[in-house]
Amino acid sequence: MTARGAALVARQEIRTRLRTGRWRVLLAVWFAVVNGLALLFRLALEADSTSRYGSPGVPMFGGVLLAVLVLTLLITPALSAQSINGDRERGTLATLQVTPLAPGDIAFGKLAASWGTGLVVLLLTVPSLLWPVAEGAIGPMRAVAVLLVTALLIGVVCAVSQGWSALLARSITSVLLSYLTVFALIVGTPLLFTIAVPITSEQGVDGYDNDRTDRIWWLLAPNPVVILADAAPSLPKRRIIIDEGAGSGGHRVDYYEAPPNDPLGSISRGVRRLRLDDGHYRPSYAERSDGPPVWPFGLAFDLVLGAGAVWVSASRLRTPLYRVPKGVRIA
Amino acid sequence: MGAPEGLGIEARGVSRRFGPVQALRGLDLTVPYGQVTALVGPNGAGKTTLLLILATLLRPGEGRVRVAGHDVRADPGAARRALGWMPDTFGVYDQLTVQEYLEFFADAYGLAKEARARRIRALLTLVHLDEQPGQPVHALSRGQKQRLGVARALVHRPRVLLLDEPASGLDPRSRVELRDLLRSLAADGVAVLVSSHILSELEEIADRVVLVDHGRTVGEHAMADLAEAAVARVRWRIRSLDRERLAEALTMAIDDLPGLDPGLGPVRELPGGAEVGPLTETEAAGLLAALVTRGVPVTGLAPAGSALESAYLAMTETRR
Ligand SMILES: Nc1ncnc2c1ncn2[C@@H]1O[C@H](COP(=O)(O)OP(=O)(O)OP(=O)(O)O)[C@@H](O)[C@H]1O
Ligand SMILES: [Mg+2]
Repeated sequence: MTARGAALVARQEIRTRLRTGRWRVLLAVWFAVVNGLALLFRLALEADSTSRYGSPGVPMFGGVLLAVLVLTLLITPALSAQSINGDRERGTLATLQVTPLAPGDIAFGKLAASWGTGLVVLLLTVPSLLWPVAEGAIGPMRAVAVLLVTALLIGVVCAVSQGWSALLARSITSVLLSYLTVFALIVGTPLLFTIAVPITSEQGVDGYDNDRTDRIWWLLAPNPVVILADAAPSLPKRRIIIDEGAGSGGHRVDYYEAPPNDPLGSISRGVRRLRLDDGHYRPSYAERSDGPPVWPFGLAFDLVLGAGAVWVSASRLRTPLYRVPKGVRIA
Repeated sequence: MGAPEGLGIEARGVSRRFGPVQALRGLDLTVPYGQVTALVGPNGAGKTTLLLILATLLRPGEGRVRVAGHDVRADPGAARRALGWMPDTFGVYDQLTVQEYLEFFADAYGLAKEARARRIRALLTLVHLDEQPGQPVHALSRGQKQRLGVARALVHRPRVLLLDEPASGLDPRSRVELRDLLRSLAADGVAVLVSSHILSELEEIADRVVLVDHGRTVGEHAMADLAEAAVARVRWRIRSLDRERLAEALTMAIDDLPGLDPGLGPVRELPGGAEVGPLTETEAAGLLAALVTRGVPVTGLAPAGSALESAYLAMTETRR
């Protein structure tokens, strides 16, 4: 396998798939819809943000980012779920396989093309993500980190979709399974988690059920939303001092509070707290501490999944082929 | 360029099954350099399967296959660099021009930039597509696409060329040109293996013919030998101005012909004549003389079909 070979395949793929004018129109529509919705969202926040402290840039960033993540992950299977079996159906794969191009060249080239397209899709949403950064509501490091993680997650979905297209003979089936995979990651993981909570809960000494989420938090880890929210560097906390009555019966509270309407932060705190076994004891808001991070596990799992899928597609492209998929003629 | 040592293709005892279907059962094949070898057999005989194995796309179940001296299982990469393959059906990419299509494959084979431009120009001239280098490939006609496929297979100057029914969809002129192209490649020392159902044409292209049926080699002949052997006994077509007189005379001519042991064989009436045989050339000459003496207005006597066709029909006769 060589970088030259992979680049050649990637260029060819982009040229043949994306040269049609249709793609330009689709991307233009995407740009207008995402940024338009973000603008409306912002206007809604402005109208609402009378009582809350902080800039509307924080919820805007989080909300737009999560929406962009879910939407791009839903688009991504369309980019690569037919890249191998579709070529076989069109009769262009075998002529590629008889050239000295290695299976890895073909697999990585195709992945680079679809991932690159996915990144262009992501790039088009950047204006509405950069707005809160330009305002100073969000630090540039946070923006860079989340864009990087989103880019990686798009790559994982590209790789998995391509893996399905290498494994399955029919492109309709591979598209379906790619969407199911994305669905399983986004919706399936919280579903499994919810089911697992009562199953793993223990009877506490006081007779109440004691949820042991510290044993099953990892079920949520592969979820792209969780990974993204948890990987985003948390916003600085604000110190809250409440001092009621200066006299002897005075009551004083002093704690740090995270910005209240930061969607990324609240998801992150929520999943991190799942890792703690705080038993039946419900600490007061001020005393709550965050658990250890969840995202490294989730991201590692997803990256391993993606790498495995690339390996599967490369090995499925290896010739001479011994096992021919049922109902497939190579040429 | 002379013919290199050894054989272009050497296949021994190749077998291959697809689930319950045994596509190849111990097929043998040799293709020498500098010659055109024809692969002939009925539908489903396993020709395409064999060519896929030779093209290093499909692994043989058993048997040993060497292409340009490289074992296809042990060293498919080396075999791939030496062979050019054109499948019977293939797709072309959308949105590419003829020029770009060939450039891509030239790059895939690692041709240098300036050699690439020269090679592509030469290939386009060779397959007569030099007037449409800027035309999108998906808009080409079937025959043009077929010719583009030939150009693609030749882009890296392969020493072994595998063509699966290359003539289908070609107009008569393109066929003649394909024939000349294959002959000139063979003259340059390339080992050419071509499968086709158009027997009359193969007779002019091929030096050798390999007959396959049910996944087995049933005959491997030099075309010259085949022609000689077939001359021994073929069917003959007689054309006459008067069909009735001819038919009448044919029924009686048998008695007059000495040494015509099996008789005239089945006599088949044709528009404007009849078909008889198989007969040797001597017998046919005797028959013609007998017909003429009886006053039948004979306008033509010629072997029906070709030597290859006779051999092919004899081979497939067992099927019925
Ligand atoms: N991928 C496959 N799966 C199952 N059976 C196959 C496959 N490829 C070929 N076969 C079977 O193997 C046999 C040989 O097929 P092959 O295509 O090699 O025939 P062929 O000689 O090229 O025929 P034709 O003259 O029609 O092109 C056929 O019976 C075919 O059904
Ligand atoms: Mg065939």
